Amino acid sequence: MSGKQGNRASAGAGSAKSKKPPKGKAEETREDVLQAVVLADSFQDRFRPFTLETPRCLLPLANVPVIEYTLEFLAANGVQEVFLYCGAHSSAIENHINESRRWSPDSILSPFSSLEFIRVSDASSIGDFLRDLDKRGLIGGDFILVHGDLVANVELEDALAKHRARREANRDACMTMVLRSAGVKRHRAAEARGITPMFVVDSSTGQCLQYEELHPLSDHYAYLDPAVFKHGDFEVRTDLIDSGIDICTPEVLALWSESFDYELPRKNFLHGVLKDWELNGKLIYTEIVEKGYAARASNLGMYNSMSKDILERWTFPYVPDSNLAFDQTYRRAKGGSYFEADVSIGKGCDITKSAIGNATTVGAGSTIKRSTIGRRCKIGKNVKIEGSYIWDDTEIKDNSVVDCSILASYVTIGNGCRVPKGSLISYGVQIWDGKSLQPEPAPRISLLTDTGSPAETNPSFVGQDGKGAFYQEAVEEDSDEEGGDSAALARLQNSMFYSLDGLNLSSSSISTLASHDSFDSEDEDADGGSFQQDSSRKRLLSFASDDSGNVSKSDAFHGDAVHGLVDALRADDNEDFDSAKLEFMGLRLANNASDSMMRRAIAVAFVRRASELLEPENGGLEPTKAAEVALTSKNGAVKFIKEVGLGSEKTAQQSEFALALQKALLGLKGLEVMRASTLLAALLQQLYHQDVLEEDGILAWWADAKSSESDSLAKIKDKCRVLVEWLENADEEESDDDEEEDSD
Amino acid sequence: MAPSQATYAPTLAKLLKSLNGQDLETSIESLIFLLKRRQVKGDQCASATLHILLQVVAKAKWRNVDQLLDAVKSTGSRLVQAAPHEPVIGNIERRVLGLIRDEASEDRNADDFGIESVSDIQSLAPATPAVPPLRPGPTVIRAQTMPTVASLQASKSMFNLLSVGDTLDAYSTGASTPVSQPQAANTHALKDEVINGIEEIMDEVNTTGDQIANFADVHIYPEDYVLVFLPSPDVERYLIKAATKRKFTVLIASFDLPKGVPIDAQYPVLRKKLTAAGVKMIRLASNGLMAYMPRVNKVIFGAKAVFQNGGALVDSGCCIAARAAQEYSKPVIVLSGVYKFCPRDTSTQVSWAELGDPSTYINYEDGTAVDSFEIEDTTAEYLPPEFIDVYVTNLGPQTRDHLGSIMADHYKPEEMGIALHLGA
Repeated sequence: MSGKQGNRASAGAGSAKSKKPPKGKAEETREDVLQAVVLADSFQDRFRPFTLETPRCLLPLANVPVIEYTLEFLAANGVQEVFLYCGAHSSAIENHINESRRWSPDSILSPFSSLEFIRVSDASSIGDFLRDLDKRGLIGGDFILVHGDLVANVELEDALAKHRARREANRDACMTMVLRSAGVKRHRAAEARGITPMFVVDSSTGQCLQYEELHPLSDHYAYLDPAVFKHGDFEVRTDLIDSGIDICTPEVLALWSESFDYELPRKNFLHGVLKDWELNGKLIYTEIVEKGYAARASNLGMYNSMSKDILERWTFPYVPDSNLAFDQTYRRAKGGSYFEADVSIGKGCDITKSAIGNATTVGAGSTIKRSTIGRRCKIGKNVKIEGSYIWDDTEIKDNSVVDCSILASYVTIGNGCRVPKGSLISYGVQIWDGKSLQPEPAPRISLLTDTGSPAETNPSFVGQDGKGAFYQEAVEEDSDEEGGDSAALARLQNSMFYSLDGLNLSSSSISTLASHDSFDSEDEDADGGSFQQDSSRKRLLSFASDDSGNVSKSDAFHGDAVHGLVDALRADDNEDFDSAKLEFMGLRLANNASDSMMRRAIAVAFVRRASELLEPENGGLEPTKAAEVALTSKNGAVKFIKEVGLGSEKTAQQSEFALALQKALLGLKGLEVMRASTLLAALLQQLYHQDVLEEDGILAWWADAKSSESDSLAKIKDKCRVLVEWLENADEEESDDDEEEDSD
Repeated sequence: MAPSQATYAPTLAKLLKSLNGQDLETSIESLIFLLKRRQVKGDQCASATLHILLQVVAKAKWRNVDQLLDAVKSTGSRLVQAAPHEPVIGNIERRVLGLIRDEASEDRNADDFGIESVSDIQSLAPATPAVPPLRPGPTVIRAQTMPTVASLQASKSMFNLLSVGDTLDAYSTGASTPVSQPQAANTHALKDEVINGIEEIMDEVNTTGDQIANFADVHIYPEDYVLVFLPSPDVERYLIKAATKRKFTVLIASFDLPKGVPIDAQYPVLRKKLTAAGVKMIRLASNGLMAYMPRVNKVIFGAKAVFQNGGALVDSGCCIAARAAQEYSKPVIVLSGVYKFCPRDTSTQVSWAELGDPSTYINYEDGTAVDSFEIEDTTAEYLPPEFIDVYVTNLGPQTRDHLGSIMADHYKPEEMGIALHLGA
């Protein structure tokens, strides 16, 4: 039940200590008992500064700690044995559970036959937990793996039955993920996710074939593993809300143990297992539910979206007036609000779509919309609160305005304050009278710094006698999370945070409150940008999943590819050409482009760039110089042509590429034939020098009838005669330095 | 592995199976959460409450009647608070409280009461009130569809409050021997009697559907067009019973068809039985009920509860159908077991409309709709008394005028005001 916290210094791998020895070996556990593992630590700090003091799973969501929803969901699905993995703040979680009449392991009221806390002292990721769990041998049969921030009302009966049937048919079917589809339209939950999961799913069996994570900062394309195409019909889904509910067989734990470096269940584990499918042979399935609700409060955006969902009853029956927590007394009132028994509301208040906890008083003339307010709060007169989540024991004095923010417990907001959109105000902060917080950057105010030590009060933020300081995230902290892409993820955290704002844009336009001045244009730009990226990504993916093969596809590919490459070539920065290459390959996969289409696109792109350089406004370079700049100014561009444009070093491909260059030049408008011809010669020469084209290739092209089938083609070719003759003469001396005859 | 078909989700059946083995508090709490999670709802509530109260009587520690009453009251109020949208729970609580009071008073007063009942009635239900407000005499039947046979039956059964019409076979007399045993002064005997009484209420609840169905051929005539809105199990049973004797047409209405379910697959049992009996079934899914009304002869609803003033709690949408029926002066028949009669004024509750899940109307997938609409999906609504012509109970068809006397027969004055008591 309780574990002893091991000394952090004794950091032996998985030195998990539990007072109790594992109470049952795998074989002893009865098959018909449903077990669940709750991961109550996420190893993330997306909810900071709140999670400095409270674990994520105890943060109140619609005035109920999130873990209550999770446990209730497990109880509703008949789970009997629960293993609760606590990491950070484990004693707080244990206290919460032990003090709860409903969940305490000693309570006769608990719907679970057992609930066991498991502490792993030196775990630094979910992977460490699960590897530890594997060692303990507590799990006998299928179990449900959930996170401690889950809210769901789906019935698992079906998914469990299907999982069992699959496992009986094939021992390798080891996991079923429960995913909620969010439709193709813009959806607040889909936007709030921050990371867009991409599931490639076999249409008929639901088998998950590939998993990728996309986010606004990532590349705007995704690769499909060629192996995917062997499966017949498949779907590429980016519209799924990952509830994190996994129905697992014990083999899943073994898989975790095999890969000691996996940290995250999706990004590492799922991705890795699917990628190494040929090695491990394990099959993972998806259960995509179209009814019911399932989502994780995995970031602030989701917290916001889910709070709304709960108030709007999408999570039914897990809604405030079901009073799931023991001492709750919510009743529904007019205006779609929920009040507990002892709430006092002043005259002339307008309270809609909100939940207000016990012993809270609201002064006269206040407006509260789409918000949750905890217990024992004091809301003054003429206060405006919209789209905000205010936890217990907080005081907001007269005439203040709180807009789309989270106010933790024991916060005091003085008279006439203004809390702008997206503020996060942590425990115990006091904002002094008349202080308007700066809307940009969205305030995060805490009494603690990111290391947990008391922060020095900054009067410019909180007013002269206030308490609290601007909370800043140390970027290094990120490095051990989410795989370490720290800079990008720090920005992503931000953008998730902005998406909290973005979400509210639409709803506040409905409302009558005229407090729109709190978001500035930069913010909107950032959002707009990511939406565009979003839509282009969706378009891309829809191409990928569209197997109807329409004619315009090759055009689309050519246009996009050429455009992308030219852009990359034009770019001033010193970036490597690799990203352009990746994008190109993504396009290629998405459009199923043939080799010759690629070759054509590459030729056109380079020719276009070179010809641009000829123009006066771009420097009016000489053809020779232009060819050189176009080909060599970018690191890796030449390599790119060699690897992608040619593929192998066969003469036929080289000749074809040269032909493509020639035709591309012909296609260019506004370039006189003579100059075009010179440019072609220069390009070919440059490519020859860069060891891209070999003399055999150039000579083959020269001899090819196609290269002179029309007058204009012949004319363009003309200037290359010198090069060709020189090549022919130099044949003997210039025996190739680094030619490797590829046997293909 | 054998139990691969096992279902894990907790259900009422599982709870009932485990009742004997587990602690009373555990059972109560389990039911409370089944109610809160809506894993027990509607018609299941009555029998669930009875089973739990039976456990309370059997297992709770009480030494005198007052303690027993308190135990039942507190359990009942917890259940009511868990599911304030299910008035039937409160009804059952009141019935059981009344039962206990009766038993207790009988014990106290020895057996100087009830003799005349015993003399002529086959079964003396233990719940017979101490001062039965007997209202003999034929009931005045106003509705045109009310046959005299049934009314006679009903009025006769007035004397015999918990028992059922003479024609009914399901009711067994064995369970309730006359209770006025002089030696029953100790709690042990009281416990037994109360348990017997609760079991009889269970019987009543279980047989109500069939008993109501027995009156089907009285209301449904050959060649009738009968409109039902979201038929409840009671209504289905009623129609099936009628189909054995009459040839008529059923119109089943609802506002929308459940997605993904072919029309043929809806109400499978009803469809199968009606078709077998040669009754035509028409499925309507539109708001345009008005258009069908001229053709319809009567409208039948199943009630979740009937209040003191004659208003009924019905599935949401019924009110529109009832309004349409009133426009064309078509009779509206409400089916309700006596145990659903709720001795409360409707004004005590702000709204009986229980809110459900907005996904009935809009799928959560539809992101724009989720953001832009406010959806209030009421699962039940209050049908005012003026829309209802006949109430068909297990005691026979009744008019509004007699609801009060039925309630007075079934609930004791002490329990009538229990709403205040519960803080509901």
